[in-house]
Amino acid sequence: MLSANEIRKVVAERTEHQKGTGKKVVDVREELDRLEDRGEVIVHRIRPANRPVPLTTLFGWTKQIPTDRLWHHKSCGQCGNIPGYPSSLLWLMNETGRTYLNEPHQTSCTAWNYHGTATSNPVALAAVAARNFHRAYETDHFPLIHCGTSFGDYKEMRKLLVENATVRTKVRDVLRKMGRDLVLPEEIVHYSEWVHAMAPEIVARKKHSLTGVVATVHEPCHYYKMVPEDAVYDDRVYAGQRPAVPSGILMELGATVADYSTWYDCCGFGFRHILSEREFSRSFANLRKIRPMVEEAHADVAITSDTGCVTTLDKSQWIGKTHGLPYMLPVLSDVQFAALALGAHPYKIAQVHWHSASAEALLTKMGIDWTSAKAEFREYLRSLKNGAAPELLHPAHGEIENYFAINKGQVLPEEVPAASRVPGATAPIVGGRSE
Amino acid sequence: MSIVAHLPRRVLSLTEEEAANPPAMELTGRRKATGPEHELAETIFAEFRQDPRHHEFVLGCLNCGECTTGCPAARFYDFSPREMLQIAATGDATTLWDAMQEKIWACCQCYTCNMRCRFGNDIAGIISVMRELSVVHGLESTRKTLAPFGRSLTLLMTVGTQVSSDMIQPDFFRDWGPFATGSDKVWDVSSDVMRKAIPSDVLQTTRSSWEVSVQTSLELFRIYEETGVLDMLRGLDPDLTEMLIDIIEERREEFQDARGRFAKEIAAMRGPVASFTG
Ligand code: SF4
Ligand code: SF4
Ligand code: SF4
Repeated sequence: MLSANEIRKVVAERTEHQKGTGKKVVDVREELDRLEDRGEVIVHRIRPANRPVPLTTLFGWTKQIPTDRLWHHKSCGQCGNIPGYPSSLLWLMNETGRTYLNEPHQTSCTAWNYHGTATSNPVALAAVAARNFHRAYETDHFPLIHCGTSFGDYKEMRKLLVENATVRTKVRDVLRKMGRDLVLPEEIVHYSEWVHAMAPEIVARKKHSLTGVVATVHEPCHYYKMVPEDAVYDDRVYAGQRPAVPSGILMELGATVADYSTWYDCCGFGFRHILSEREFSRSFANLRKIRPMVEEAHADVAITSDTGCVTTLDKSQWIGKTHGLPYMLPVLSDVQFAALALGAHPYKIAQVHWHSASAEALLTKMGIDWTSAKAEFREYLRSLKNGAAPELLHPAHGEIENYFAINKGQVLPEEVPAASRVPGATAPIVGGRSE
Repeated sequence: MSIVAHLPRRVLSLTEEEAANPPAMELTGRRKATGPEHELAETIFAEFRQDPRHHEFVLGCLNCGECTTGCPAARFYDFSPREMLQIAATGDATTLWDAMQEKIWACCQCYTCNMRCRFGNDIAGIISVMRELSVVHGLESTRKTLAPFGRSLTLLMTVGTQVSSDMIQPDFFRDWGPFATGSDKVWDVSSDVMRKAIPSDVLQTTRSSWEVSVQTSLELFRIYEETGVLDMLRGLDPDLTEMLIDIIEERREEFQDARGRFAKEIAAMRGPVASFTG
């Protein structure tokens, strides 16, 4: 069911069929170069300063994963209600000595809204994507996409902007009205690919043994079902028959990754449903995902790598007890799980208290003393309530950044000759982020 | 005795009243579109077929049912991606109109159907095209379906993020349990303090997913204005649209004030930050 071999066949058949229309290109990255030569787009390239690591995609193509000088493209659902997700990722970057920008000058991809309410259109989606791409480019930091849906959407939008000259022209016109230009990144990179590329460095810092911890993986639909040819596969993970992320890092950390029959199913998020028709989301999440994970695989934890998936699988369980489904299986993102394994504070960093299904039994199994961590966190909250300054993973932004997307030692397009429009400037690096 | 003798006579002939007011549904279950509704259905159908994406997304159908077998929505709704694709491929104005009233909103946009379709149809994509048209034409059924989205649309249009922690209110998310919605009760501090305990300043807000700079939100709004999204929304909810314009006007004023306050710093900068005037 949806093994790599089957997907390759379907995608290959589709590509052949679409090539027949004379409109489609197979690997957009090749076309990007041609468009750049014609001065139609600026390609944001991965440079040595990004310390790239090559991974392999479904079609055996090499995908360079930048591991340094990254521009965090946050996810609205993660930041809004599972904030331990982005904070664990930032923490892992600090631990492994990677630099980044985490700015207020980013919008979401707006694709959650599009897939939920359709109150947008492809030109708007492409322009939103390109505005974020340009901001990342001008700061000379490579975009790292936190959300599975943004990742899928941005791949679709990059493809659309490459293949459709009309959309390209419209989007370029809109961007130029705000002093920006059409920039397309050489690779669209999901943060879980960064995790996979960084696995050796992450594992080297492991503090807790995960022997005996059984994890079931929910593979986010929008990671591998949208523009599937670009998803990362690895022969060491399910013999290359399923996406390498997020299973790879769990295996490397020593957890047991257990299989279950409905692994390929969606989580039930539905974009619209999770807000206005949750009867569906919770039925689907409990019956098609959580129950098989617990009853078939005897999981201690469900791990996934997308916003909607963590939200749906986690938040849908509390009500399950009214239907005789009293599982309360903890649901974490791969980065929360990895950060915990490396000794991150379960409340201050992994922020597990935002989750509906308690992670405490899991923490015990991982050998983490959560009772003292919890007491410490309670004390910390009290101090914040009394006006103490919060502990931060990166320096706070100045007031000017509440208003302006200020210069940060970046490349300014007008200074670069069109023929060699590649980021060249290197900004001084300060602490956990470069600015 | 033949079974026909048991049938009520009125099945065989319509009463005068029924003849004057024909039922909206035919016995086959298909609704008959008439009058202005029919004209709108024809317009939508023509626009649907002329959308360049129709040609790209709808490639034909083997009728194999692979799409529906893996479809999460098909498990819980009277809905099937195969039916949607076939309506897109060979349906007429009425079948399209009917599907647009309710069925298109069952789809989860998970792309499982696309992944399984040997013909390479973009079924999730063509369903989105149908949805867009239902928004553009402000169908009554669409207005009802999207009525609960005022709050998230406001956030999305003004700051470009879709959720905020202050949206997760116990009244609306009771089913998520006390940990997701009642941090103040569980931890005995306000939600502001809970957000302060997130170790990144940009995340310490309750009103958006993260702090979004004014320039960023104005650039986003410019995109919505230029790409027809604002007009789309106006068709769906004119009051909400006016409110959004008011919010943005205030932000523009705020931006101009800030340009005055930070004039010296901005003068030393180049690129969009220097040229964007709101
Ligand atoms: S499983 Fe759900 S939330 Fe996750 S990517 Fe699929 S549809 Fe989105
Ligand atoms: S994208 Fe929609 S139609 Fe396709 S499988 Fe998912 S829910 Fe079903
Ligand atoms: S999988 Fe494709 S070909 Fe098969 S029924 Fe569905 S749309 Fe038709």
